[in-house]
Amino acid sequence: MAHESDGPAPPPTTGVDVVIAEDSRIQARMLQRRLTEVGHTVRWGETGAQALALVKERRPAIIVSDIEMPEMTGYEFCAAVKNDPALRTVPFILLSTLSDPIDIIRGLDSGADNYVTKPYEPDYLLARMNALLETPLEAADDAAAAMLEVTLAGQKFRVKAGRQQVLNLLVSTFENAVSKNQELVVANQELSVARDGLQKSNEELSTLNAEISRINAHMVRDLKAAAKVQQSLLPADDVEIPGTRLAWKYVPCQSLAGDFLNAFRLDDEHAGLYVVDVSGHGVPSSLMAVTVGRFLSPKVSDSSLLVRQGSDGRITVSSPAEVTTQLNKLFQADEFSGLYFTILYGVLHLPTGRFDYCSGGHPALVRLPAGGGDVELHVTESFPVAFVPDVEYTQKTLQLAPGDRLFLYSDGVPEAMDKDRNPYGDDAMAACIAASRAAPIEVGVASLLEAVETWCQPNGPLDDVSILAVEWRP
Amino acid sequence: MDQFRRIQTGKKGDIHLVLFKDKKILDDTVLDEIRTEMTQLIGKASGPDVLLDFSNVEFMSSAMLGLLGQLHRKISTGHGRLKMCGIRPEILTVFKITNLDKLFSIHKDAPTALPTFT
Repeated sequence: MAHESDGPAPPPTTGVDVVIAEDSRIQARMLQRRLTEVGHTVRWGETGAQALALVKERRPAIIVSDIEMPEMTGYEFCAAVKNDPALRTVPFILLSTLSDPIDIIRGLDSGADNYVTKPYEPDYLLARMNALLETPLEAADDAAAAMLEVTLAGQKFRVKAGRQQVLNLLVSTFENAVSKNQELVVANQELSVARDGLQKSNEELSTLNAEISRINAHMVRDLKAAAKVQQSLLPADDVEIPGTRLAWKYVPCQSLAGDFLNAFRLDDEHAGLYVVDVSGHGVPSSLMAVTVGRFLSPKVSDSSLLVRQGSDGRITVSSPAEVTTQLNKLFQADEFSGLYFTILYGVLHLPTGRFDYCSGGHPALVRLPAGGGDVELHVTESFPVAFVPDVEYTQKTLQLAPGDRLFLYSDGVPEAMDKDRNPYGDDAMAACIAASRAAPIEVGVASLLEAVETWCQPNGPLDDVSILAVEWRP
Repeated sequence: MDQFRRIQTGKKGDIHLVLFKDKKILDDTVLDEIRTEMTQLIGKASGPDVLLDFSNVEFMSSAMLGLLGQLHRKISTGHGRLKMCGIRPEILTVFKITNLDKLFSIHKDAPTALPTFT
């Protein structure tokens, strides 16, 4: 423990009597232990005054003193020793931080023989002590002591100091400078290594940044293209179905949505309407939405589930239950992603106002009766599509009266959350729809969207919001 | 045993107990982590019995239902049983609309659910 310093061990000096002045108990203990280990006898004063008393009591071989101490500072203690003719040849070492050149002047003025800079290695202090003990201060030097005039920082100091004392201080200051210089050289080397490392990291970073911008530009382009494809799933701008009035709003919460909706003519007598909500958001959900959308085309094609052309050329409209059951069969394969969707698909018979619809796990169908009755919520409890294999979906029928309105929407409407995460709710939705009864259907849809967006202030909806409404006017 | 971030797991006999730690399962990242952790847990066992405890969960996205569907399929094909408990009424409404309360075996809490495995 005592010999862990890797510097050369100080030459053995026969034990001498040492007085130390140190106000920190811990530092004093550590110093005392090290000095005792090499054979010295140690007397310890907690203040300059105490230490002076110890020195006067019995003349020590050497004195080691801290500077900052209560009652009497190291400088004062030193001056007191050096002004005492009986004691002045006792070597005196000051433990200084040497943070200011003025410390050197003060040390000189007080007559100190050497400095050790704090924090210090105990062995370094021992080496200094040995050097002083081996070259005893000559009493004759007193005569050579002259008044020196020193100018420091524009201030003149008059200092009384012997030659050997000045020499000792000069050497200790020089050694101190050399050791600081070595530390600086090491620090400089470390800095330059660190700088090289930093430069290298910087270069790597800018390469990565360039790569990220490139990938990002690529992704933005792909997303835009995908969003465009998705737009094609929405009703045409000029969609008009004779005998009806249509209105719709569609607000995706990201650039790509899982929602889509449409309204179209299936044949001379039938119109189709749906809202689809694929679980999740972003690219995977929107890809599934586009795939589902291909099967929900009103044009006769190999993939369309809505209409089929018989061998006689006649077009048959599939029932909503058939369509949903087929979709469920087609999308069962999607076990990996865990994606599924809810759908409300309805077919309106334009001459009679008969509305057949099927729900696959979708929120309630809403009817606003023209006659002034209450808003009706028609809930169907059924599995979402692509969730459970081999489900036979069933359909329901609503007989519309002229002027009746139907509202289809995604769960982004009733489940829209305010800042405290309270849902907008079925009741508020029904009330909002009822309030727009007298206004045109476009206003009814717009005011429902506005109510949802207001409810979600200040963050806005976290889910896609889709609303599709139809009014039967035979 | 607690090597998972999103789920806390335990065993009662041969039944895996899984408690979701999150209050909100809304974020896709959270969902993906749950999916990965559940796969790690169930992948090891063959045809396990699993009880999912939702008592911490206040909000859940629709995508979480999809994950439950996947788990259900996976566990049933291994001849295990998947049961759920501790589902809040607000969330249970979503299970009802989607009819999933009939597909899944749902119980009030763990003490009432556990005996139904025997």
